[in-house]
Amino acid sequence: MDLRLRGITHFYGDLEVLRDVDFGVEAGQIVCLIGPSGCGKSTLLRLLGGLERPAHGEILQLGAPPAGSLNPLTYVFQDFALLPWRTAAGNVSLVLEDHPLSRRERSEIVADVLARTKLSEFAQVLPRQLSGGMKQRVAIARALAVRPACLLMDEPLSALDSQTRELLLDDLVELWLRERFTACYVTHNLAEAVRLGHKVVVLSRRPGRIREIVEIDMPLEQRKHALAELQEQQSRLWELMREEAMAADRELADV
Amino acid sequence: MSDEALAERGAAGAAAPVARPVPFRGGGFAPRPMRLVGLVLFLVLLGLWELGSRTGWIGPLVLPAPTAVFEAFRQLVVSGQIWLHLGASLQRLLLGWFGGTLLGLLVGLAAGLFSMARAGVVPLVAALFPIPKIALLPLFIIWFGIGEESKVATILFGTFFPTVIAVYGGVDNVDRNLIRMGQSFGLSWLSIVRKIVLPGALPAILSGFRISAAIAIILLVAAEMIGAEYGIGAYILLAGNLMATDQLIAGVAILSMLGLAVSWLLGRAERYFLRWR
Amino acid sequence: MEQTAGRRWSRRAALAALTGAVALAGLAAPAHAEDKIVLGALRFTSHAPSFIAYERGYFKDEGLDVELKFFQAAQPIAVAIASGDVDFGVTALTGGFYSLADKGAVKVVGGLYAEKPGVPGMAIMASNQAWEAGLKSPADLKGHSWAMTQQGSSFHYVAGQIAAKYGFDLSDIALKPLQKVPAMIAAVKSGQVDAMAMVPHVAVPLEKAGAARIIGWVRDLGPWQVTTIFTSTGNVEKHRDLVERFLKAYEKGIADYRAAFLDPKADPAKKQAIVEIIHKYVYADKPLEAAAPSIEAGAVYMTEGAALDIADIAKQLAWFQKHGLAPESLTLDKMVDTSFVATTK
Repeated sequence: MDLRLRGITHFYGDLEVLRDVDFGVEAGQIVCLIGPSGCGKSTLLRLLGGLERPAHGEILQLGAPPAGSLNPLTYVFQDFALLPWRTAAGNVSLVLEDHPLSRRERSEIVADVLARTKLSEFAQVLPRQLSGGMKQRVAIARALAVRPACLLMDEPLSALDSQTRELLLDDLVELWLRERFTACYVTHNLAEAVRLGHKVVVLSRRPGRIREIVEIDMPLEQRKHALAELQEQQSRLWELMREEAMAADRELADV
Repeated sequence: MSDEALAERGAAGAAAPVARPVPFRGGGFAPRPMRLVGLVLFLVLLGLWELGSRTGWIGPLVLPAPTAVFEAFRQLVVSGQIWLHLGASLQRLLLGWFGGTLLGLLVGLAAGLFSMARAGVVPLVAALFPIPKIALLPLFIIWFGIGEESKVATILFGTFFPTVIAVYGGVDNVDRNLIRMGQSFGLSWLSIVRKIVLPGALPAILSGFRISAAIAIILLVAAEMIGAEYGIGAYILLAGNLMATDQLIAGVAILSMLGLAVSWLLGRAERYFLRWR
Repeated sequence: MEQTAGRRWSRRAALAALTGAVALAGLAAPAHAEDKIVLGALRFTSHAPSFIAYERGYFKDEGLDVELKFFQAAQPIAVAIASGDVDFGVTALTGGFYSLADKGAVKVVGGLYAEKPGVPGMAIMASNQAWEAGLKSPADLKGHSWAMTQQGSSFHYVAGQIAAKYGFDLSDIALKPLQKVPAMIAAVKSGQVDAMAMVPHVAVPLEKAGAARIIGWVRDLGPWQVTTIFTSTGNVEKHRDLVERFLKAYEKGIADYRAAFLDPKADPAKKQAIVEIIHKYVYADKPLEAAAPSIEAGAVYMTEGAALDIADIAKQLAWFQKHGLAPESLTLDKMVDTSFVATTK
């Protein structure tokens, strides 16, 4: 299943946050969305998942989601959004409980996704006992449990320290290599974008418009060992963003 | 700089700096649990009180001696009256508190979840909560009679309002991100309420229970003003009317022990239900 | 005036010490000043002699500078006398009073309101429902419920007297303590309690309005010394002269009251003057014309010369002790000083 955005314009009250945004997310691809803070990246993600309705334009699903997908458009949040009163397994189970699955099917799925995110031994642990990186792994496991057609990831690594971020980034790459999931990945971190993105959509400052869409052809598995080339890509992206970021930084926060 | 180096410089004489430990400036402002202190203070006060009574410095009219209070309490136990009083009071407390809490949960939840209910309930609660329920006693007699109903109703009304406030406050404080997460996974409204909103509001609801339970005990005396033969509140009222100050204080001590017991039970409940914190 | 002996700890004592210090500083009071005393009162017609003696200057004549202090209920007056805030008061003999008397704080020195056959007094009322179901006289009260303020109150005692007179046990009446008189009235009006005793100026209008039925009169149960004049034990022991002067003035107030309300050939103008005095304190929120009938209807019998029915007081004490509402250790001598007024037997 592909996603297609056509002429998306959005307002918060009188404030225009997105203007005429137009791009697609093809199945099996990771599309990274970058842009200066306040450019409407997260808003775009909320529109994609149907949590908000765009003022103008349309968002289309092309083709049917894969069979057995319980929640085609599934979020991974920056703050993990785990229920503190449920264990890791319980948090995964939560999103399955509204679906017509037998108790056994459910526990099989939970065990499966926890294994895939290397969390099996933490199944019965409460969130407060987990590090930030482990919490985000649980959140990713929860997202995988509903077999999404497209993951909508809102700065999933931003709340983590840099070492944990590096570890989790490797995990995400590995996961993609195994599962070939589709994702729209919002970040303000250019290194993440060039490590994960097949396509990087650069937005301008508010109101967010598309500055450029950069395709990165290098296969994901090679990128870890090609840091020099990636550095080049990253510099190019930074050149694109630099002025926007500076201008955005000087804007008054409250309009 | 290593110790040896310092020692060398010291040995070298000349301008040897005086070595002394850095002065400690931390400490304090960190309450530690000290269980015995409260008990000891209580016993010391009790001892002073008894001494004052024995020497006549505290007249029996001003305050009965602790031993007299204890004797009154012993009389209650020996005669078996205490069980009649406690039984009657506990029944009223439990019925009133459960009723008030249940209704308060429903109304508070409605106010927390639906804008319409909130617009109606919140000003109403603000208007009715501060009314002293004692002032309504004559009306309660007309409405509910002088039997158990009016006593239970007094406690029920008293516990209903604080529960409503605690519950909708708790619902308000549930992390909106968690609710958005539930919606993004397509959870049903009922599931979101049951699995996200209610457990999220539970800490506030439980601390609301502490307040409503205390209010229930406070209202016991008022509730038992109307036609009560037995009950701790009725016992205290009668003791006051007969100027039997020893019985009065014994009754008040029973109420305060009841408060301690309830607080302990709720503490256990909090530890059980909120162990995820 | 110093009247704190017998108590070691009271606000009055602290004040007295303070006053003493001021006196030492050279501000001593003039030698022949009037004695200042505080008289506790309720805004009821049964306290009328207090108002009459005050308004007509009978206290002043005895060299007493009286301050009236108003209370909501009788019991707090007794407590206030025990604490030294009030010097004299009028109250029914209730459980609380016995307890304070037993602690040596208060003492009865005279009688006031009494019930006896042939004089106005309290009514016994039945709710309409109970009346229709057959409660037509106090003799039928067995098995019915009885409204009262609290155990150990006069209302409780009336129930005991009814049971005694008609030969059944007090436990055959379901006693309902409701704390306040308005609550009693509400409970009988709504039929939740079957019967009660009530002062005449409330009872008669209630029956006229069809809200309840008068089924008998307390006076028919036999003589009853309902209220007494009392003061602190300290006053009795150390200031006999003060108590005597107080009672002398008070008796004049009683005499005026009796002349106006208990004499069928009373001069209407004199009666009107007394009603006007009482109206300053009772029903003051109503115009005189509206208040006068209630004040007159509230008239009760007051004994001449504050005479005390000591035999009845002994009977009451025994009854309260029997029901565990008065301390066993309390004796008549400890509670009453009969040397101030005449006693009837």
